[in-house]
Amino acid sequence: MPPSIHPVDLISALRQKHLTPAIVFLTSRRACDEAMEAFDHANFVLPSVRQDAIAKALERVMAQHPSIAEHPLIPIVQRIGVAAHHAGHLPTWKIAVEELMRQGHLDAVFATTTLAAGVDFPARTVVITQSSIRKSRDFTDLTAGEVQQIAGRAGRRGKDHVGFAVITPSPYIDLSVLTKGLTGQPEAIDSQFTISYPMVLNLLKAHPHEHIQGILAKSFAQFQLNQRAEVLEQKLDALHIKMEPFGPRVCTDWITQWHTFDHARRHRHTRHPTYRTEPPEIAARLPFLTPGRVVGFSRGRGIVLRQYRSKGQRNSMLTVLRLESAVTECPVTSVKEVYDRTYDCPETSAYPWCSTDTFDRLSHQLDELPLRLPLLPILVSTDGEPLPDAVVQSLEDFPCPTCSSRSACQKDFLTASRLRQEQQRHTKSIQALRTSLWHRFQERVEVLQKFGYLTLTTQLTAEGEWARLIRIDHSLLITELIRAEAFTGADPSLLAGILASLAHDDDRPGAFPRITPGLSSLLGQVRKLAESLSPYEDPPLLRADVAALVERWVADPSLTWIGLCRLTTMAEGDIYRLLARTLEYLSQVQTLKTTHPGLAESAAHAITLIRRGVLEELP
Amino acid sequence: MTTDELEKLLAQQPVAVLHRLARGRVQRHFRAGKRRLIELLLQHSSQNRAGFESDLLTLIGERQSGPTPGSSRRPGAPPGAHKHVAPRSSDTEPSDPPVSLTEWLQGLGVPAPQPFVQDPWQVEALAAVSETDVVISVPTGSGKTYVAIEAARRAMEDNRSVIYTSPLKALSNTKYAEFSKIFGPDKVGILTGDRQENGQAPLLVMTTEILRNLLYDAASGEIDVRLDTLGLVILDESQYLADPERGVVWEETIIFCPSQARLLLLSASIGNPQDIADWLTSIRATPCRLVRHSKRTVPLRAGYLHPNGRLTPLFRTLGIPQGHPGHLHPEAKHLFIEYEEETLPSGRARR
Repeated sequence: MPPSIHPVDLISALRQKHLTPAIVFLTSRRACDEAMEAFDHANFVLPSVRQDAIAKALERVMAQHPSIAEHPLIPIVQRIGVAAHHAGHLPTWKIAVEELMRQGHLDAVFATTTLAAGVDFPARTVVITQSSIRKSRDFTDLTAGEVQQIAGRAGRRGKDHVGFAVITPSPYIDLSVLTKGLTGQPEAIDSQFTISYPMVLNLLKAHPHEHIQGILAKSFAQFQLNQRAEVLEQKLDALHIKMEPFGPRVCTDWITQWHTFDHARRHRHTRHPTYRTEPPEIAARLPFLTPGRVVGFSRGRGIVLRQYRSKGQRNSMLTVLRLESAVTECPVTSVKEVYDRTYDCPETSAYPWCSTDTFDRLSHQLDELPLRLPLLPILVSTDGEPLPDAVVQSLEDFPCPTCSSRSACQKDFLTASRLRQEQQRHTKSIQALRTSLWHRFQERVEVLQKFGYLTLTTQLTAEGEWARLIRIDHSLLITELIRAEAFTGADPSLLAGILASLAHDDDRPGAFPRITPGLSSLLGQVRKLAESLSPYEDPPLLRADVAALVERWVADPSLTWIGLCRLTTMAEGDIYRLLARTLEYLSQVQTLKTTHPGLAESAAHAITLIRRGVLEELP
Repeated sequence: MTTDELEKLLAQQPVAVLHRLARGRVQRHFRAGKRRLIELLLQHSSQNRAGFESDLLTLIGERQSGPTPGSSRRPGAPPGAHKHVAPRSSDTEPSDPPVSLTEWLQGLGVPAPQPFVQDPWQVEALAAVSETDVVISVPTGSGKTYVAIEAARRAMEDNRSVIYTSPLKALSNTKYAEFSKIFGPDKVGILTGDRQENGQAPLLVMTTEILRNLLYDAASGEIDVRLDTLGLVILDESQYLADPERGVVWEETIIFCPSQARLLLLSASIGNPQDIADWLTSIRATPCRLVRHSKRTVPLRAGYLHPNGRLTPLFRTLGIPQGHPGHLHPEAKHLFIEYEEETLPSGRARR
């Protein structure tokens, strides 16, 4: 079995059940054209009555749009009663096909899914062969809205009792996408509001800067942001209600209060240097153990040289001069007696902690000491005066330890603080939502100020006055090009070529005629500028082939449409659209009559040169 | 009951009963063996001895009086009846037999020519559009264009001018031709970037971008006199509001649309038309009316055509089962599974 049904079999199956006329949506333009060819090869011929009817209908269209008279597909369509309809065809040809379909002369039209929105004619049956659609280079699943748009073409009012949407599988079809699309609700619309440079200029031209925020607030984007903010606010209210069981407390902001208290309590050991506890009798001695003091140990006596604290030791340490000029270190606890005698001993910063003279004198005096010495009476306060402690003091500043709701705070703190964090997060995102548009606007304003289209007081400069008239994509690049005088003296064909490369955003490949040196150097200049502007504006594709093609069409008035099409591999419809887009851009440049008369004239000239042949027929 | 008696009674019970008793009383009871379980239960029973004893007695009574506690939970039900309900209760298949192909194809044909009768929603929309802004969200092919034409006709009869915009140049051209046929060529004009045809006509067709540019020109002082007499702006295919690149143009147009002009937004079915209407109400002078319906004028049926030429209905029901994508016709389902098996490389399952 073939992976998908042959187009001829498809139509004959539909015809057999009286399900024609039908629109068959296929993935690609090529698939549409091949389907038509398949009919051609199948030697399928309509009865002559119907052939005549088609010819007559086509003649009526031709009277309006003479360009299709020579169209190569006319005899085929007439013979087989089936046509392809996609963006690769000329608009006039598409009009002809639509007209034939509307009058019911065709059995089937093969159309691309991509153009489903542009297919504005109904049929009895719609055939869907794919569940995905090509959107900027990759395939994405059809949305419910798109499936319904496609299926919506089925059933002609007044001509059919029922419409049919027939799904026929092809490789990689996902049936569930289609069934969900058919039975589901269409998607909600989301605002795609973006702030462009011309929008900023035009808004600031018409309204003072302080009114802009109000205008932006009228956008659907803001409306939807507000809706989201409202949802968040409801959540916030719910949180408030959830917080209620935790109140009322003694203090208004008990969470913060408790949080800081808790923090201080937990971190007091790390925040402050360790406090060594010494028994009160030792602590009372410390002030007397100064350099020069005579102290007694369990064995012998000594003179204190210095008192210090050492990290590894629990107690204060002493450096002591012992008999025979020995210098020893010992903790204060090993001091048994403190005698009521001191010698003069100025302390120095290095070993042996006093000058050599003093050292010699002290060791001599130590030898000379009498056997009995009076003890120093040291009073030990029994309850021990509490040492000033920063932490304890700061903890006492908190009302929490003595507060009546202390136990409740302690218990609920975790839940409450989580709830409040959530609340703060919501408040923040609400604020961000409410101001986001305005920020985006300000960003644009700053860029425009940097380039000199706006003054610092957000008035339009002379440059801004004309730049606001360029209201198309890549407007910043175009106005910068005009300011850089890239187009001065350029003839209409060059201008049209460059604008075509700016306007064309399709990356379908196409071969191109040889590019002229003038165009190529100008295009290089444009590329350079586009690159330097890329932080502020997405650069266009700037394809050289389309530029060369349009330049050729404008520069050579004797070139026919057929001749133009032969120059490239692009489809007719694409060339047409390229030229139509170029016209749009040119018409924008043309509005700069007062400030850039030369350029505007060149654009006007290019417009008249482009508008010939096929391009003349449709407005 | 003394503790000893209770212990003996517990020891007589099978372990299953003990576990049921331990549920909610003893943590991690499923880890314990029988002896340990009894120990734990006794420990716990000191908290609420009476409750524990009565629970034990009812459990014993249940066991003796009939089926095992396990099966007593689903009494009397036919075997297998429960299996179905559990997984997807919202998407159960209806019990009535699926529609047959002959039924599905019935009603084919051309209806007898009837005098044109307005749909109720069209009447409603036309009545509303003479007073306020209107958002219309109806399925494709319901006759939105009819409303546009009638609204334009009425506005023009009141000597107000009308602007009709479409997203695509090709659609503009089609509409221009269509309107010219209806109103006469001198009443309809078209505006493009570089061309005007009949630019002073009371009904102007253009793309939305062109209208946006006109509105900007008017706002910045280069007043276009026509905007003062503008009575109605029709934005066709308003679902383009969601277009990633061009949606902003629709927003700008709606924001800057002069307040004396009525707005008529025509859109295919969308998910949140009420939001759009609410938005318009919040920024425009008059409250906006929403006209929506989801029923197609010509009913739709869905079918499945197998590559071998066999046609079956796609869904079990004749029409589209709204909200039930799983209600596939058994035959279509069968054929599609067959198709997938045949076309997919072996060993690779889809989804």
